[in-house]
Amino acid sequence: MISVEGLTKRYGAFTAVDDVSFVAQPGRVTGFLGPNGAGKTTTMRIMVGLTPETQGRVTIGGHLYRDIPNPGLHVGVLLDASAQHAGRTGREILTLGATTMGLPSSRVDEMLELVSLSPAESRRRLRNYSLGMRQRLGIAHALLGDPSVLILDEPANGLDPAGIRWMRGLLRGYAERGGTVLLSSHLLHEVEQIADEMILIGRGKIVAQGDKKSLLDHGQAASSLVTSLDNQKLAAALSAKQYSVAVAGDGLRVGAEPVEVGRTALEQGIVLSDLRSGAAGLEDLFLELTSDTQREGHPAAATQQGAIA
Amino acid sequence: MSTTQQTPGPVPTLDISQTAPVPFSRLVRVEWRKMLDTRGGLWLMIATAILLVITVGLVLLVVALNDDPIEIGAAGFSQILTIPLSLLLPVFPILSVTSEWGQRTGLVTFTLEPNRVRVLLAKVASVVLLAMATIVVALVLGALGNVVAAAMDGTDVVWDLDLRTLVLTIVLQLLYFLMAFGIGTVFLSSPASIAVFYVVALLLPLLVYSTLYAIFDWAQDIIPWIDLQYAMGPLLDPDDDATTMDGLRVVVTVLIWIVTPLVIGTRRVLASEPK
Ligand SMILES: Nc1ncnc2c1ncn2[C@@H]1O[C@H](COP(=O)(O)OP(=O)(O)O)[C@@H](O)[C@H]1O
Ligand SMILES: [Mg+2]
Repeated sequence: MISVEGLTKRYGAFTAVDDVSFVAQPGRVTGFLGPNGAGKTTTMRIMVGLTPETQGRVTIGGHLYRDIPNPGLHVGVLLDASAQHAGRTGREILTLGATTMGLPSSRVDEMLELVSLSPAESRRRLRNYSLGMRQRLGIAHALLGDPSVLILDEPANGLDPAGIRWMRGLLRGYAERGGTVLLSSHLLHEVEQIADEMILIGRGKIVAQGDKKSLLDHGQAASSLVTSLDNQKLAAALSAKQYSVAVAGDGLRVGAEPVEVGRTALEQGIVLSDLRSGAAGLEDLFLELTSDTQREGHPAAATQQGAIA
Repeated sequence: MSTTQQTPGPVPTLDISQTAPVPFSRLVRVEWRKMLDTRGGLWLMIATAILLVITVGLVLLVVALNDDPIEIGAAGFSQILTIPLSLLLPVFPILSVTSEWGQRTGLVTFTLEPNRVRVLLAKVASVVLLAMATIVVALVLGALGNVVAAAMDGTDVVWDLDLRTLVLTIVLQLLYFLMAFGIGTVFLSSPASIAVFYVVALLLPLLVYSTLYAIFDWAQDIIPWIDLQYAMGPLLDPDDDATTMDGLRVVVTVLIWIVTPLVIGTRRVLASEPK
């Protein structure tokens, strides 16, 4: 399991990773989610000792990465699938890894088969690989030593939908057998269905963590989307009841349960043409939490647009 | 996966007690393989082999065209054959280091062996092995050439290569390899390192030093202290009795071109964040 404790990385005056702490447990897939430049890669690079930390530390199964002998046998790492010699064949790249770890060459064939790279494809040079093929090769490389911990940076990048589904199954099974999986992504839908735990990071800071349900419950305010024949009047009535109201497309976004909006419309005799729950999905939450932290306001989407009342 | 040893708190631990570190010999084998498993490496090897064969061929041609017997001998052949060896092969030690950054393979290399000093030492070992292997090939070729040349002239084969000269020739070749390696670690960039190496090792001695040496008195005082080839000259010449001063010059040039870059470069490698 991976334990990140108060990790900070500064580049000059710029803080790329800011006091990050979290734990990735065995038997679970932990999604590390955040927009571009949030600090995911930097955090993962520090985990495996490629980048020195400014403060804090990371342990893997209780050890610093550099203290793990033959680390490929314990921790599978994929940081950048394109960071391989363009002139080497896929098979050669895996062979080098297997040789370093002291594994038989049969392991290379097993991994190639696991990630569905055909013998012909494995003899091509990396420069002729598509991003998806590189990603598969990188996953094969990470799995070579049958490690109990996997650290994957944006592994779904470049995979087609079938590939993403395949990877999801692979990592699921891996975690079910007791492995620890940490994978990063800047796309929620890539990790939403696979991750048991999610760590949301924005601008170097952890903004939320937990499983999907607790994340959704957390800071979630009631919200409705409503369209009526007299939006102006409805907005005024709702505002009078101290609900936040904002224009959203043809209708309004209201900081209240749909039942409250319906009741108000009934009282005012306004005809509704559309009324539904506007509860933010995980996507909204993700955008919300990782958006500019400087901005005034409240996590609920209701206050996003200019209120009209 | 994890054992039930005494663990402080509920923290699942990784049992590493049964895992041995990656043996150094394996790191050397991997680094050796990495030098030769790309198209670039393969072509460098082929080109060097062609240069070697062409050189032997040219020498034999000269022997054949000359009416009077020319005694080249084993020493002559070994001296001539160091030229094709020193032309392209120093690119190997350079690329061994710089491709980890240029091709970004360092991400994997330093993840599989986080001790970067061990990786660097394995690279040096593989580079030294390569230098030795190519010298053996050149010696065999030279011996063949020597026999053929003597047969063409109808003279006795001259085996005049003494051990001291042979050892010093190998040492010089190794020094150039280490210099190339050191320059690679300083720049961590293939084009820059290759350019700097060839300027220092080939261009300066051939064009600049020789000209300065011929024109200026001060150049005659300075150049023996800064040019490796020149400094090694008295030691390589079997007829010359090398003095302490000559030895000191070698030490100074080695300090300038090999030790200094290696020290600076190793620090760079340790501090670098391979991206
Ligand atoms: N060597 C460096 N020097 C300066 N800034 C850096 C360096 N490496 C990363 N950064 C910055 O740190 C921030 C986090 O980057 P990164 O960890 O790659 O983000 P992510 O992987 O989440 O997209 C970015 O703003 C990036 O520009
Ligand atoms: Mg990244």
